[in-house]
Amino acid sequence: MARVYNWQIRREMSYWYPENRPQKQFAAVFDINKCIACQTCTLACKTTWTSGKGQEYMLWNNVESKPYGCYPLAWDLKLLKQLGPQQWNGGGYEGRTIFEAAPAGQRVLGWRPDDHDFSYPNVGEDDCAGKIENGTNLHFPHLTWFFYLARICNHCTYPACLASCPRGSIYKRPEDGIVLVDQGRCRGYRECTQGCPYKKVFFNPLTGTSEKCIACYPKFENKLQQQCFLNCIGKIRMAGYISQPENAIPENPIDYLVHVRKVALPLFPQFGLEPNVYYIPPIHAPDSFLRQMFGPGAAAAIETYRKAPDDPDLAGLLSLFGCSEQVMPRWKRENDTIIGAEENGAEIVRVPLREPVYIREAFDKKYNVARVNCP
Amino acid sequence: MRPLYRFVVISISFTFLLPAGCQKTPPPPLTEVAAVKASSIPAKSDAAAWNAAPEFVAKLILQDLVEPRLMTASTPEVRVRAIRTDREIAFRLEWEDATRNDLADPGNFCDACAIQLPQKFEPTVPAPQMGEAGKTVEITYWNAGWQAKVEGRGDAITDIYPNATVDHYPFDAKSLEKGSPQQQEMAKRYAPARALGNAMAGPRDTPVQDLIADGPGTITPAAANGSKGSGQRTAKGWAVVLSRRLPEGIAAAANPQIAFAVWDGAKEEVGAKKMRTAWINFNVKDQP
Ligand code: SF4
Ligand code: SF4
Repeated sequence: MARVYNWQIRREMSYWYPENRPQKQFAAVFDINKCIACQTCTLACKTTWTSGKGQEYMLWNNVESKPYGCYPLAWDLKLLKQLGPQQWNGGGYEGRTIFEAAPAGQRVLGWRPDDHDFSYPNVGEDDCAGKIENGTNLHFPHLTWFFYLARICNHCTYPACLASCPRGSIYKRPEDGIVLVDQGRCRGYRECTQGCPYKKVFFNPLTGTSEKCIACYPKFENKLQQQCFLNCIGKIRMAGYISQPENAIPENPIDYLVHVRKVALPLFPQFGLEPNVYYIPPIHAPDSFLRQMFGPGAAAAIETYRKAPDDPDLAGLLSLFGCSEQVMPRWKRENDTIIGAEENGAEIVRVPLREPVYIREAFDKKYNVARVNCP
Repeated sequence: MRPLYRFVVISISFTFLLPAGCQKTPPPPLTEVAAVKASSIPAKSDAAAWNAAPEFVAKLILQDLVEPRLMTASTPEVRVRAIRTDREIAFRLEWEDATRNDLADPGNFCDACAIQLPQKFEPTVPAPQMGEAGKTVEITYWNAGWQAKVEGRGDAITDIYPNATVDHYPFDAKSLEKGSPQQQEMAKRYAPARALGNAMAGPRDTPVQDLIADGPGTITPAAANGSKGSGQRTAKGWAVVLSRRLPEGIAAAANPQIAFAVWDGAKEEVGAKKMRTAWINFNVKDQP
């Protein structure tokens, strides 16, 4: 095992290979507060990439209702239990990562789902935490809560799938950090399906190889956002590149949200993979739950996010989500206009900070007709 | 630097010390796999011809040298017989295995076995665990799941989950004539491993694959896949016949070696997690 630096847990850790960061790292921000679990992302991926034989059960993108939803079954609970106490001290993680907790003979701590674990693609949908007792009324913060967690492969900086594969069939692209299974080399050992803590590698029983989210690389190579990003009804997603925290560029939307404002956080950073999908945590779920899921920055992230209405930069950047199919590596605000741009500053799209609101009279006097609320 | 170790082969004869005066002396166990010369190779594991070949009982040990390691011993031994012609050599491997595991899915693994030979016969043998850099080993691998496919298991989700239903695959669109080159091409697009020619992905006409390796993690399909084989369930486990071309130079080699491996699917054995032998003396000289 080599020693590598993981900024998300603010310390060195053990990893199977030496630190070898890509020239650029694909990353994304998902705003959980905007997700309505319509599963359009899930279907966008499904119809684009996994309509083949042996791929029937694969959801490279899925949306689950937390706290009870999961695909595959109990993917998070099982590993959290295996890993034991996960102690943070300030922003630093003092517990063990899944690499450091690897049992004898294994490369990482993990478990392998079997086919029954994939039998319920949306188990726990809309189940809320707690009971609705007699006399319950609307109360803030909510006494009972749930939220939607949209998940794709995190194209981790320290992928456990890659570390687990004894054949080196999984590789991380130096040009963009996208993690891929070499379909010509894989022999279907399923070490990766055991190793990935997010359970985002799937065994194809008809080709005998494992397959996973490819970050729609044919699109991303052409500066286009991924299918599940483009089709998102709630406009919760933005794709781009992330820098190391010490090199953060405020004009880079991902860097701004993750490093500058610290409003978007990694999923289970304590596992140690430096995952590259960052979540704006839901504002209505308890801090203890969010802390376990997104690390110690959850409460501060929510505080910042709540103030967005009075924060034109943050609100402005969030309104840029879903406004163009093109990847927007740069952004800026000019008064009440937000501009998404290429790396060289060339404008891609501009949106108003606040969409104008038009109120129409219920009765149209000119045509002498009552208006209805449909287009 | 090349590894300092060399696997100099030492044959150890295990002779049982029997008390003086004992009337019957059981034949000492074989210390080598000895191939009997014949005019043809039996294709089936139950052919009478196998009785002419002596049975070598190979003790299996854990693969516990490289991660992922097998931590709990499973199949204790594999019984081996070998028959050869001037061009080919066949092995019958038999081992006990209570369950037939021939369906791979996310959580289920297939029974399998393999034989390993050095590519070149030199005074020092390659590392017994998949060879080493510059000292390639040749592996002939049989898999129970492939056997089931060769025997007719289909390529549909209902062949794995009989109650599954699927609305539609894009390559089954009415506009594509079934079996036409366009339709086949479209189907391939949705099976990336097959599109790349990965032998894992089929279509499969043999349950055997020829492989080479230069150390752990390097296993690669050999240039040609000429070996044959077939496996049958027996009352207690599996009997598998594997036949391959007679390795070049083996008849003249001073002290040829061979190794075997067995995977028990029920124990989730796959890849590096296997029971294997060390190198075993291999006698292919013309038998008297
Ligand atoms: S999320 Fe899982 S599959 Fe994706 S890179 Fe990380 S370890 Fe690999
Ligand atoms: S990025 Fe592309 S491949 Fe990955 S989940 Fe989204 S649509 Fe699927």
